Amino acid sequence: MNLQVHLGNLTLSNPIILASGTAGYGREIAPYLDLDRVGALTLKGLSSNPWVGNPPPRIHETYAGIMNSIGLENKGFDRFFREDLPFLENFQTKIIANIWGKTIEEYSDIAKKMNGLERIDAIEVNVSCPNIEQGGESFSSNGQVLCQLIQNLRQKIQKPLIVKLGPNTDDLNNVLQFMEREGVDILSITNTFPALAIDVENQSYIFSRKTAGLSGPAIKPLALKLVYDVIQRTRLPIIGMGGIMKTADALEYFLIGAQAVALGSVNLIDPSAAVQIIEGIKAYLVQKNIFDINDLIGKVR
Amino acid sequence: MKRAKIVQKRFLGTSFVELWLEEKDIAYLASPGQFVMVTIGSSYDPFLKRPFGILACQENQFGLLFEIVGRGTQILSQLEIGDQVDLLGPLGNGFSLNPKEALLVGGGRGLVPLYFLAQIFTNKKVPFQFFFGIRSQEEKVLIEYLSQLPIPLVISCQEELSGFYCGTVLDAFEDWRQHHSLSKSTPKIYACGPQGMFQTLAKMDDIIPNQIEVSLESRMGCGYGVCLSCAVKKKGLPGYFHVCKDGPVFRLGEIEL
Ligand SMILES: Cc1cc2nc3c(=O)[nH]c(=O)nc-3n(C[C@H](O)[C@H](O)[C@H](O)COP(=O)(O)OP(=O)(O)OC[C@H]3O[C@@H](n4cnc5c(N)ncnc54)[C@H](O)[C@@H]3O)c2cc1C
Ligand SMILES: Cc1cc2nc3c(=O)[nH]c(=O)nc-3n(C[C@H](O)[C@H](O)[C@H](O)COP(=O)(O)O)c2cc1C
Ligand code: FES
Repeated sequence: MNLQVHLGNLTLSNPIILASGTAGYGREIAPYLDLDRVGALTLKGLSSNPWVGNPPPRIHETYAGIMNSIGLENKGFDRFFREDLPFLENFQTKIIANIWGKTIEEYSDIAKKMNGLERIDAIEVNVSCPNIEQGGESFSSNGQVLCQLIQNLRQKIQKPLIVKLGPNTDDLNNVLQFMEREGVDILSITNTFPALAIDVENQSYIFSRKTAGLSGPAIKPLALKLVYDVIQRTRLPIIGMGGIMKTADALEYFLIGAQAVALGSVNLIDPSAAVQIIEGIKAYLVQKNIFDINDLIGKVR
Repeated sequence: MKRAKIVQKRFLGTSFVELWLEEKDIAYLASPGQFVMVTIGSSYDPFLKRPFGILACQENQFGLLFEIVGRGTQILSQLEIGDQVDLLGPLGNGFSLNPKEALLVGGGRGLVPLYFLAQIFTNKKVPFQFFFGIRSQEEKVLIEYLSQLPIPLVISCQEELSGFYCGTVLDAFEDWRQHHSLSKSTPKIYACGPQGMFQTLAKMDDIIPNQIEVSLESRMGCGYGVCLSCAVKKKGLPGYFHVCKDGPVFRLGEIEL
């Protein structure tokens, strides 16, 4: 049986990836999950300098999902380099660094640092972050700024470059064409959905930033539709994610044409879910008499 | 993930439940202050696991004692002996276990980790005094529960309750301190209770917040350090601790409440 997939020049032993922000830097989840069993581990979003993130509360449960307002808290590159990178050397699994910044310059800075690390196999750029040079609106909410950012980063990054889109990308058609021209290697779809919750008891917002990102099963049909829409418009390989809890959820993404999938919120409630999903995919392939997972990808068009 | 079978269940009044679960790794490894993350229900609803402190361990079983405060604890209270739950644990750091002398101060469900600690101190022959307070008559079941242990207890209730100190647990604690000249080696203070109790405790005279160990609650996404939901502000420093990994036990002086 073959589970190996090629996403451009990034080859994964199987198409199950751990999504950014839900597996820490590997060390935290390793007691519960053999990292070498997954196709890739995406690290929690890192910026060049440490970032403290948002005040609590940072998480709120909804029907079939969670809203988070972590605010991109991270220890910064230097501490990651000292505290976590050596641990990752013990594994063969592919490591994807997820990066972000508040300005194009900050993105470039962390991109250069990550690009210099041998252990990092690919770099995923989170473009759903506030751009402080544009009044705090997200980089992805302005097609022109987004293209500028991508062009800049492509020059700095020799490793496979993954752009992670959210649900509200401005001028998507042009941005997709631009990414193909510039040589972006892979797309990740999707980040969390902007959402709102009110504290009825105290008649206030739940979160200090008012809105927060919705993830989990609640977004799966929406995320699948986003992947479907983008697949119609680009030949770039896609990592699909949003609400995958079990094997059948992952299969939906493959059938619609995603070459790999990432697991996010499910890791919070079951840190070994990835292994069960991989086993489930194998069982499905056997049952359907399919030898190669690649024969499944895009079967429903 | 671990799976544990419910082997004992008991309602304490209408709003507290004591559960005993069979899972030998947790029962052997757990230390006072540590917690488990319990899956509620079977179809991702409620979605997140819920954190509960470990009450005690006995051979291959461990106990939980929880208050029914919302949907998750309501569902958990309906499980029966023989049912199984999925869980992670033991998680978190736990209390330090080698003081020369100790004072335990707890309110309401803050009883849980201190009950475990009191048992360990009894076994280790660490001299201690346990102060426990409840808000209202409804929580009287907790006093009865705690009174089963042969330990030195000072009990308070904010409502008039015959035979017990009337006031908060910290009023009772303060009163006691004024009538007992403390030995030369200042006893170590361990506390667990509502936020307000910690705030008052930090402001009391002759208290050194850095010598007090407190066990905190916070909203948790994962309980094992990946999601960074469980932030609590560091005192006098930028940034946050994470209750599930750096805690749940902190020195009172290192956190902003
Ligand atoms: C380390 C740790 C140990 C704990 N140990 C115990 C224990 O031994 N016994 C026990 O009874 N409880 C304990 N708790 C608290 C327990 O986890 C919560 O009461 C439980 O998760 C509530 O679940 P629910 O679904 O019933 O309530 P929900 O429906 O989730 O919440 C009920 C109400 O409480 C609010 N709420 C929920 N969690 C918090 C929070 N952390 N801070 C502020 N408001 C909140 C909600 O907004 C809602 O208004 C512990 C918590 C932590 C973090
Ligand atoms: C607690 C939490 C933290 C996250 N942190 C990041 C992050 O740092 N960078 C990023 O690109 N996405 C982050 N995400 C988004 C996830 O990687 C994923 O895109 C999203 O949750 C949708 O997948 P899911 O429904 O399977 O969770 C985070 C999600 C959660 C729940
Ligand atoms: S609850 Fe997820 S990091 Fe603490």
